[in-house]
Amino acid sequence: MFRFVRRRMYTSAVPLIIVLLGVFLLARLTGDPTNLYMSESATPEQRAAFAAKNGFDQPILTQLGDYFAGVAHLDFGTSLRTGESASEMAFRAFPATLQLAFVTMLLAVVGAVVIGCWAAYRPNSLADRFSSLLSMTAASIPDFWFAITGVWLFAVLMGWLPTSGVDSGVLSWILPVATLMIRPLGVLTQVVRGAMVSALSAPYVRLARSKGAGDLRVVTHHALRNAAAPALTVAGDLTVGLVNGAVVVEAIFGWPGIGKLMIDAILQRDFAVLQAAVLLTAVSIFVLNIAIDACYALLDARVREPARV
Amino acid sequence: MSSRAALAVGVAALTVATSGCTVANSGRGGYDPGTLRIVLSQEPPTLEPCESSLTSTGIVVRSNITEPLIERDPNSGDLQPLLSTGWRQTSPTEWTFDIRSGVTFSNGAPFTAADAAFAVDRAVNSDLQCNVDGYVFGDEKLKVAAPNDTTLTIGTEKPDPILPLRVSFIEIVPRSTSTTEKVREPIGTGPYAIANWDFGQKLTLARNPTYWGAKPAFARAEYQWRSEGSVRAAMITNDETDIATGLGPEDGAGDLGVPFQNNETTALRMQATEPPLDDIRVRQAINYAVNRTGIVKALFRGLGEPASQLIPSGVVGYNDQLPLWPHDAEKAKALVAEAKADGVPVDRQIRLIGRTAQFPKIAETIEVIQSELADIGLNVKIEMMDTASQFLYQLRPFPANTGPYLLMIMHGNQAGDAAFTMDQYMLSDGPQAAYGTKAFDEKIRAAEGLTGEPRQDAFAKLFAEEPRDIMQMAYLAHMKGILGLARRVRYVPNSATGDEMRLGEMTPSGTDRTDAQ
Repeated sequence: MFRFVRRRMYTSAVPLIIVLLGVFLLARLTGDPTNLYMSESATPEQRAAFAAKNGFDQPILTQLGDYFAGVAHLDFGTSLRTGESASEMAFRAFPATLQLAFVTMLLAVVGAVVIGCWAAYRPNSLADRFSSLLSMTAASIPDFWFAITGVWLFAVLMGWLPTSGVDSGVLSWILPVATLMIRPLGVLTQVVRGAMVSALSAPYVRLARSKGAGDLRVVTHHALRNAAAPALTVAGDLTVGLVNGAVVVEAIFGWPGIGKLMIDAILQRDFAVLQAAVLLTAVSIFVLNIAIDACYALLDARVREPARV
Repeated sequence: MSSRAALAVGVAALTVATSGCTVANSGRGGYDPGTLRIVLSQEPPTLEPCESSLTSTGIVVRSNITEPLIERDPNSGDLQPLLSTGWRQTSPTEWTFDIRSGVTFSNGAPFTAADAAFAVDRAVNSDLQCNVDGYVFGDEKLKVAAPNDTTLTIGTEKPDPILPLRVSFIEIVPRSTSTTEKVREPIGTGPYAIANWDFGQKLTLARNPTYWGAKPAFARAEYQWRSEGSVRAAMITNDETDIATGLGPEDGAGDLGVPFQNNETTALRMQATEPPLDDIRVRQAINYAVNRTGIVKALFRGLGEPASQLIPSGVVGYNDQLPLWPHDAEKAKALVAEAKADGVPVDRQIRLIGRTAQFPKIAETIEVIQSELADIGLNVKIEMMDTASQFLYQLRPFPANTGPYLLMIMHGNQAGDAAFTMDQYMLSDGPQAAYGTKAFDEKIRAAEGLTGEPRQDAFAKLFAEEPRDIMQMAYLAHMKGILGLARRVRYVPNSATGDEMRLGEMTPSGTDRTDAQ
């Protein structure tokens, strides 16, 4: 198992470096931040001093070298916007995103397993068609539209929930989590249903039934265990998407997470903060991917060790 | 498998439960009747007082945390004493200010003329690159002195008849403030002081117990920020905030949305150094093509007035006799055809650059203008940009080899005097000017040396001359803003509200709020 994890770490490190390289170069292609941070009357000398202070006057390769040297020493630079340490800003924002993603996926997985198993148990029944319609609709709804509609319906019209913010305890979570959950729930339900339909028609399930196993035991102990692998793979990808893509939800609901931090950093050309946030997110996704692969290996021995010829 | 799964779910549930549904990086919540709740469209990047001419900073800082020596009445335009009780011109290049005594900063330090001299020097003469320096003082350096605790003198390189107005933009900070670094959380003499700033989440101000003036009605002010106008409007209608800034007519604040004249004027700035825009007939044609009245009525839902100049009424220099440039598509087509016959490359593609979310309905406005210009025979391509990218085209030095472009600008004259507009947009080398002439520059400089009625008349004349002789702009509209205002708060927004929202002017309108906290 340790060898498996080590192998995955090596293979995941390359994409991580490519992501960092890409973000570094693309950020600088978006333009010089000097105009955003200097006064209108700044002289060319003052602008040059600003560029020199922040290293923007150096060739791009030198800047890149300085950045990776800084990363090696855990120095991620200082925010142009606030003067704070970029890594502190990223670390402060990240837990809120992780919380949101974790709760969302937990609920999405539980919901998808229940609905998917229910639909698969009676294929082509009314319940199956209804759940398919619901899950496909959920997977297709734009999160922006869902969020704004949710605010209007549940906050403004009915007054049940707060419009946004994080001050109202559990109520603050409902709209952001629902908005984030809607797509994973739809996709996962489809995956679980498909996998369960196959599993429930497999010979080992017929054997279990012939041995007198009850419906609940057949579903939970036999079929679901074998249907879990594809669902886990998709859930992993969706979780990665949530950690990386809660930007819209965080911006709309004022959720103090890393997605909003990244958007602000992009708009303000705050390169150090953007790079720190992307690095932290990328490392988390890297760890998450290893964890998912490890879970996958636990479920399937063929993944743990390559086939010996 | 089932026991392991149950364990995993149990651990997960426990984690969520133990977090108490509290979001990391969030402050405490709850409604407090002594707290005024305000939602802004963006978080201030800094509260550095010398950056307070930035809207997102100034709206929090000015006259709330820090104060200037003099403040401008946004309704009358008159200058009012604040930390200075009086001022006079003591020589052609020197002004003397009487400094109020008995004032302390929120940290308990006494305020004297030496602090005022320090703050002016820091904002204008230092290497901090303060925004207020660029916007208000340009390249000018000031000689500042405090001969005693209650007297401040400011010397200028040239006679400056509106120096007190310029000084009204400088927020006063104590001498303990850094002169080498900008500060994010300043000390001031204002009615409020910073109590807590959860960056990214919430900013709380608390009443300054040592404030020298009238005690503000609310004990605390709590700022939050939401980027979506519809969410800000929903917060007002859902009683989650008392004030919501930057709303649009379609955001849904209903009768809690209060329209107000906000000083901003929108216009298309034409890069008149590039063909075909270097031909004044093409620039005139663009002006004839733009249906500003139709845009204000249909897109802005009447929240604005079609503009004939870059400043609104109430600003010194506004020309109330200047008619709107007429909308006449046929005349525009004829001008383009005439230019084409003379060899002007009117088929050359012109970039029409807009800034995303600069004002409500900007995308639709840009599309309408593109269509109008295409109808008269011009080849116009829309480019929407974010703020940073658009700034490259708005501020000098402009990028090279851009080709001809039209830039949607929105200018807010916070000072109430046309000199600030002329310096920025009309001087041939103005930081935001794309075109001008030396002859017109001289007229601007001459007008800026005048005072009183002659000053008003001279600027008004220049606004009439500019379209005739130079025509760098196609003016669009004097904009109106919408402020979301809860019923429990009494406040009348004014033309300065978008830049400087004085908390001391806000009072409870009902009995459910008291200042007893």
